[in-house]
Amino acid sequence: MIVKDAVCPFCGCLCDDIEVEVEDDRVVAVTNACELGTTKFMGEKRMKNPILRDGDRWRDITYDEAVQYAADMLLSAERPLLYGWSGTHGEAQCVGVHMAELVRGVIDNTSSVCHGPSILAIQEVGHPGCTLGVVKNRADLVIYWGSNPIDAHPRHLSRYTRYAEGFFLENAFRDRKVIVVDIRKTETANIADEFVRIKPGGDYAVLSALRAIVQGKTDTIPRTVAGVTREQLVRVANLCKNAKFGAVYFGLGLTMTRGKYKNIRNAIELVSELSRHTKFTISAMRGHYNVYGSNEVNTWMTGYPFGIDYSRGIAFYNPGETTAVDILARKECDAALIVGSDPAAHFPRKCLEHLADIPVVQLDPYPNATTAFCNVQIPVAVTGIDAEGTAYRMDGVPIRTRKVLSTDYLSDREVLSRMCALMQEALER
Amino acid sequence: MKVTLAMKPAARSFIPIEAESIVPKNFLDGTDLLVWRGNRELRLDEVFSVSVEGDADRAEDVEVVLSGETSRLKRVGEYMDGGRITILGNIGMHCGNFMSGGTIEVHGNADGWLGREMAGGTIVCRGDAADYCASGYRGGRKGMTGGTVEVFGRAGDFLAESIAGGTVTVHGNAGDMAGAEMRGGTLVVHGDCRRPGANMKEGSCYVYGTAQGMLPTFRKIGTVQHEGHTLIRFAGDIANRGKGNLFVKDYEYLD
Repeated sequence: MIVKDAVCPFCGCLCDDIEVEVEDDRVVAVTNACELGTTKFMGEKRMKNPILRDGDRWRDITYDEAVQYAADMLLSAERPLLYGWSGTHGEAQCVGVHMAELVRGVIDNTSSVCHGPSILAIQEVGHPGCTLGVVKNRADLVIYWGSNPIDAHPRHLSRYTRYAEGFFLENAFRDRKVIVVDIRKTETANIADEFVRIKPGGDYAVLSALRAIVQGKTDTIPRTVAGVTREQLVRVANLCKNAKFGAVYFGLGLTMTRGKYKNIRNAIELVSELSRHTKFTISAMRGHYNVYGSNEVNTWMTGYPFGIDYSRGIAFYNPGETTAVDILARKECDAALIVGSDPAAHFPRKCLEHLADIPVVQLDPYPNATTAFCNVQIPVAVTGIDAEGTAYRMDGVPIRTRKVLSTDYLSDREVLSRMCALMQEALER
Repeated sequence: MKVTLAMKPAARSFIPIEAESIVPKNFLDGTDLLVWRGNRELRLDEVFSVSVEGDADRAEDVEVVLSGETSRLKRVGEYMDGGRITILGNIGMHCGNFMSGGTIEVHGNADGWLGREMAGGTIVCRGDAADYCASGYRGGRKGMTGGTVEVFGRAGDFLAESIAGGTVTVHGNAGDMAGAEMRGGTLVVHGDCRRPGANMKEGSCYVYGTAQGMLPTFRKIGTVQHEGHTLIRFAGDIANRGKGNLFVKDYEYLD
């Protein structure tokens, strides 16, 4: 059986033109997807059933036992942390927020270690963004700043920018200019019309300089700024000003380097400045396929996009204090529920030391680095493969992922709903 | 009136305690106050050994002394408008949030957001202050609007972010982005700091040491004498309105 127009649940591009061939409840071939997406669709070696740590061994347990363990753990905690959420569908994220409020815990998603700074900047100065379709059809200048789509979002270039046709561009490949700004010559830099190489930690200074140049204050700028010559900065500023429609895409090279959210704020303010001359937009290259959704769901339900502390019964938000890395590093939680992410593979050692000290339950289809820190792991269906649900693309467009095959695994939403119901019952007693 | 709060050793000491009720004026009505440890509400005497000497009928005559392992105690002195709080050791985050009067003295180090959005009064920190000292809240337009913060040790990153009034003095070095988004008030760093005055609109920032990673968008005006220091005067941040004053003894670009 061939499933057409499947949605790829890997990166924030959420490509919705994938063809998946299924035989005997197994994916045997994938067309149109990039290597990353294909590998995810073809994924094997899933965990068979929930497991419980028993001394230095794992013991198989039932879903009911696993869910009961998680509910008891969360109810007895003084400050439970509910982390992850970017690798699951919006409906499950909704249940997660209800659970956090119910047990008065802290709910945080992976944006606190990726594009959280972008959101902090947006909260300061707003977000002049647009959908990917607008860029595809109109942009004659695309800037990738601190992002390397060839490796991380492989089809971004072919579907929306460098290699895409544009309705309002006669010859998109020739008319569309691409500028890459990075600290090293990446694969994406090789296909750019202009490559700006910045010294590490110099993004903020370069953005400030560009803002001043766009305002006509070139005289004040020193001859080089963070390794970039003034001549090149003026050339880039002119390319931007002369474009009909410019789009900036930035990645973790900007959000997670020195200055963090101030870098993004500066980039947004550069875009606002450029919009006095032409049309310019800026957007984040979101990583997980539904990390944007976790921000959306959290925002509409709690008022804040990530790092929400319900300890006092009301939502409190302060990244740097209520975000997972900070809480774990400071040992400020006493239990953790991990859903749809793998913190042990990404967090600093200090955080993992605390994760090893507290009870941890993880919902994940596969054994991963976090499994080593778990007391219980519950395997679930993979959204977009054997579960369906809503995900948000990197430009904020919700897309319903489809089920391409059927298995007996419960979805994240089903497992979490059972957990939530048990906790509600216990609290009512 | 002197209220002494000695923190009791706790078995699960890593969970922070939120104690915005520890404000001098609250002790005029006794010590029957509540604090939070995670999602549990506790009586003040479950966390502290409480002793009271003398009495008072106005906040200005109340001194609260905190001792013991207070580094996980958050929000002490929030919305304080008079009286005195003395912390003998370290203090946790958000000490003196929104305070408008009175004095807080920290003998040890202060954690993040010391004197966040304060409008008046005095904070003295004998040790180091962590990030966001005298700054604003996430997405907020204004940080500190009045009062005085003096740190005798070092300060972390984003010192006095969005400061709009009042004075902040740091005797040691400060971290990255000191006085970012400054729109008023005065910031004085006796040591070195990185990228001072980023995107500042107005106000004055003095660095008696070296400004590392100096931003390219400040226009050099000349030298001035200030409190016995010869400082180079810059106007900026010209990427923004450029009406701020940045004075540095020395600077180096990331060129």
